[in-house]
Amino acid sequence: MSSGPQPRAAGPVVRVRGFDLALDRRYEPATHIWVADAGPGLVRIGMDPLGAETSGTLAQISLPGVGADLAAGRPFGQLEAVKFVGPLTSPVSGTVRAVNDAVAADPGLIERDPFGAGWLIEAELADPAELDGLLTDAAEITAWYEARIEDYVRTGAIAR
Amino acid sequence: MTAEAVGARRSPLPLLTRSAPRQISPDFVRISYASAITLGMKSGRFSRDFEFGGINLLLNYDEGCLSDCGYCGLARSRQNVDYGDQFIRVEWPLVGTDELVDRMAERESTLTRLCISMVTHGHAYADTCDITRRIAAKVRTPLSILVAPPTLNRERLETFKALGVDMIGIGLDAVTEQLFRSIRTDVPAGGLKWEKYWEVITDAREIFGPWKVNVHTLVGIGEADQDLIDLFVALRDRQIFSYLFCFNPEPDSRMADHPKSPLVRWRRMQLAKHLIETEGYDAGQFEFDADGGLINLDAPRTAVDAVVDAGVAFMTNGCPGESGEPGCTRPYGSYRPAEPFRDFPFLPTPDDLIEIRQQLRLDDVVRSRG
Repeated sequence: MSSGPQPRAAGPVVRVRGFDLALDRRYEPATHIWVADAGPGLVRIGMDPLGAETSGTLAQISLPGVGADLAAGRPFGQLEAVKFVGPLTSPVSGTVRAVNDAVAADPGLIERDPFGAGWLIEAELADPAELDGLLTDAAEITAWYEARIEDYVRTGAIAR
Repeated sequence: MTAEAVGARRSPLPLLTRSAPRQISPDFVRISYASAITLGMKSGRFSRDFEFGGINLLLNYDEGCLSDCGYCGLARSRQNVDYGDQFIRVEWPLVGTDELVDRMAERESTLTRLCISMVTHGHAYADTCDITRRIAAKVRTPLSILVAPPTLNRERLETFKALGVDMIGIGLDAVTEQLFRSIRTDVPAGGLKWEKYWEVITDAREIFGPWKVNVHTLVGIGEADQDLIDLFVALRDRQIFSYLFCFNPEPDSRMADHPKSPLVRWRRMQLAKHLIETEGYDAGQFEFDADGGLINLDAPRTAVDAVVDAGVAFMTNGCPGESGEPGCTRPYGSYRPAEPFRDFPFLPTPDDLIEIRQQLRLDDVVRSRG
């Protein structure tokens, strides 16, 4: 586990239809995985609040060990909720440099502090250009988030 | 330095003139998490894409259930238990009964079966009647009750029928008298009576009619294959359904360390029950070893293969919907989403059937006659 502090989002966090959204990082829209800068060539990876909410109450999370290889678009772990299990898909290629043991012990951290203490892993990037394929622009991120919420409400994945 | 140390004052809490309202039945009930998702009362989704419309309600009391069954998450002598919202390993949200009924009415076209699960409690019968009336007034989806026999007699079962209930379930769970006594009667706060359970089964069968009563049978709590198969035959002969449940160890229960039934045994019991109940097989077609373990099924292999290929044998046993379709399918009810399906809340796919065949290892038990 990283020995560094576990700050909340450093940049602005906005509320979109009742859900927090940090605008200081990138997003993989299909998987609700965020990527934040964590130093030269390093990124921190986590799950956004919509990913957690629409999974249902989280029960268990499996994460790779330090030194494991990541491949963009491939699973690096697994998330299990009350009635759902699914892969955690890496948005980038690289090598795992730190794992959040606290979130492995208490997956509820993702629900309580998704942009801070609920981070999942840190990785050294193999190809920084892969970041260009993620959502970066604040307006674009906000529009995507809002559309996803509407979709989840319509399909029943978000309680209403 | 703390605020207390510098003499900060806090306003005293206001005096309460009466107790905080208790969130108990009949005004409140617990519902399964799957039901809560379906009714929009909890966020979430299922791992696989399938239709789900079976709503399960559970009576809720501060005292919990007054029975003390060794395998149950509601057993009253469990130690270190804060019930919270947890029951059978996962969250069972507490909801207002009237809001629940309104939501069921709004979504009636998507619902297939409703079921109220009683618990052993002095108020359970009256509260079940109350909740049944509230439901029947607004929702036409077929309604079952999973009854608590110690709270019932024949007259009360007749009342359930008069209120609109069409099916009755009895959680016998332990399939022999000896096992029942050891797990449900002769336990710290036990006392459940095998004879009383069978009295209610008999009365319910007479009142509700053929194939309108089901007996829950739990696989993996110490019974032999022969015990299960003998019961499947006896119930089938009385036109009573057996509903199979897979024992799933409940944390903090007395059987928390008891292992789950191996998949191979579970699959074979699913198949045996289906062959008896649906295909008319008799006890004589099943051969057992000295311990009552199934060693041979005397049947044409082609016929057994056809049953396996159809997949229905491996679906959840539950009360049907209005047109006979699967109604109560309890997704991930006795296994975690990350584990292999025990019973399928949908018709198994061809890929699922490949796994099922591997789990069954039919070559070891079917003596082929064609």
